[in-house]
Amino acid sequence: MTAVNSIIHSISSFVDKLNAVHRMLPWVLAFVLLLPLPQILAAVFNDYYIYLANKICIFILLSVGLNIVKGFCGQVTVGHVGLYAIGAVSSALVSIHFGWSFWLAFPIGILLSGIAGLIVGLPSVRLEGAYLALATLGLGESVRIMIAVTPLFGSSTGLLSIPEPTIGSFVFDNYTKYYYMVMTFAMIGIYLSFSILRSATGRAFMAVREDTVAAAVHGINVAKYKLLAFVISALYAGAAGGLFAHMPPGYIHHNNFTIIEMVTLLLMVVLGGIGHIWGGILGAIIVTIIYDQTLEFYFIQPLLFGMTMILIVIFMPRGIGGVIDRYFMTKKFMKIREENSDGTS
Amino acid sequence: MALLDVTGLSKNFGGLLALSNLDVSIEAGSIHGLIGPNGSGKSTFFNLVTGVYQPNPGSRIIFDGHDITSSPSHEIGSLGIARTFQLLRLFSEMTVLQNLMVGYHTHVSYGFLTTLLNNSLVSKADAETADEMMDLLEFIGLADFAGMPASELSGGQRRLLALGRAMAMRPKLLMLDEPAAGLSPVNLDNLLSIVMALKEKFGLTVLIVEHILKVVMETCDTVTVLDYGEKIGEGTPEHVKDDHAVIEAYLGQEMDDEEIRAAFEA
Repeated sequence: MTAVNSIIHSISSFVDKLNAVHRMLPWVLAFVLLLPLPQILAAVFNDYYIYLANKICIFILLSVGLNIVKGFCGQVTVGHVGLYAIGAVSSALVSIHFGWSFWLAFPIGILLSGIAGLIVGLPSVRLEGAYLALATLGLGESVRIMIAVTPLFGSSTGLLSIPEPTIGSFVFDNYTKYYYMVMTFAMIGIYLSFSILRSATGRAFMAVREDTVAAAVHGINVAKYKLLAFVISALYAGAAGGLFAHMPPGYIHHNNFTIIEMVTLLLMVVLGGIGHIWGGILGAIIVTIIYDQTLEFYFIQPLLFGMTMILIVIFMPRGIGGVIDRYFMTKKFMKIREENSDGTS
Repeated sequence: MALLDVTGLSKNFGGLLALSNLDVSIEAGSIHGLIGPNGSGKSTFFNLVTGVYQPNPGSRIIFDGHDITSSPSHEIGSLGIARTFQLLRLFSEMTVLQNLMVGYHTHVSYGFLTTLLNNSLVSKADAETADEMMDLLEFIGLADFAGMPASELSGGQRRLLALGRAMAMRPKLLMLDEPAAGLSPVNLDNLLSIVMALKEKFGLTVLIVEHILKVVMETCDTVTVLDYGEKIGEGTPEHVKDDHAVIEAYLGQEMDDEEIRAAFEA
């Protein structure tokens, strides 16, 4: 345990030092360090893990987005996977049928997801808790069923041969190349979530989560911030969807957007720690790996994940992020106490 | 000049008339007390003024020249009315400092787009706000707990934090809903002296709802007495103390002067 402590401590002090030089430096460094990951994975394990790294990046975008609306703004939404589907299908359709490039189709997918997010968010102005969960569940599932029954959206065969993104003559046609793209977007997404959540907007989200009446009395337009949280998280879901659709081999099916996926996504946020910025990222990495490694037991997977979620909520309500936060806080107060006792003795 | 001018304020919950045709006017710079037995409509009055409830038609609430009768809570807050709650309603998972930063929300200088595009400006503005809020925490005596979640404070500290969060709004009118509830006499004196000091420092107008008559009698310039949603007395504390309608509402009829005096001094 002390080894873990010292590692956490040295990492955090190193990041602080980098931050002091330039605010972007830790981000640039992390980006550079993550660049050779596919080569390392291929050398240590095999090529399959490069695909897994792609998947993790996409799920990081999804869970960071969900963390904004659920973790920070406290709105229980089960429709997130529907927004993900809207981003994926619209981006895919635009590039298949109009032949538009990824760089045009992708923003369109994000935009449509954002608009859908506004619609999913509207019930939140009046509903709370389980009622809101039911309303958003209905919206999310209806998106999936809509895709499943409409031939244009792929119905039972799914959408095939969605074109890969290109920059000039460079085609992102294998997992290693595609990794550079999803990783870049995941980094941008994480960076933006930090910017948002560490500003007055993030504090307003948390105030809405804690107490809507008190938030309103202190000058926060509750309805506006709830909708803003829904739209931001929908934009994240749309981006994740677009990246998922164009990932080689360019195939999406409505089975990618089921309620099981939603539960997995919720587990990421809950495990990582509701309301911790790093929580969603950590949760996405851990859960995606576990999900992938236990695929052969897919019959009992939902049962396992559901039970894990219940256990976490009972025994670790603030998830991994909460445990880490508590560790740092305890340490800070120990230090203050030591300083105080030094002063008096 | 009246800072808050309420005329004909009524509110019914179904068949129950919680407030009927109430006229109250609060002078700028004064400390105004609002007293009355349980269920007399004091908290309803607070909730109507701060937009938590909507009043019946015909009511009029004018604050500082603005008609706020049907304004939403957040607009009323940004006009300069701050309040505390009887049950505090702190943001308990957030730190003490963050609670105050939320109170400061309406004065934040940057918008959402700046948040996305210019991170350094945001951190600079937030650092300045945090400094200002630390001064306020110093003033109310919670500076040592700035990084602690609000849920871990003691009862007395929570009341102070609620006051600090309201003050972070830089209000013109501060409305305190039973600030003394559950406080020990020492803590109570501490809280009252902080309120008086804040009033002097920021030129506040204060409206206090209180059960403990000692608080009202000692601090208020004017007192309004409510019973069953109607105003039954108004004036200086001395005047109200001797008003027979007030004594009746509070203590019943069958008491002689000696007992009445003893009750008020308790």
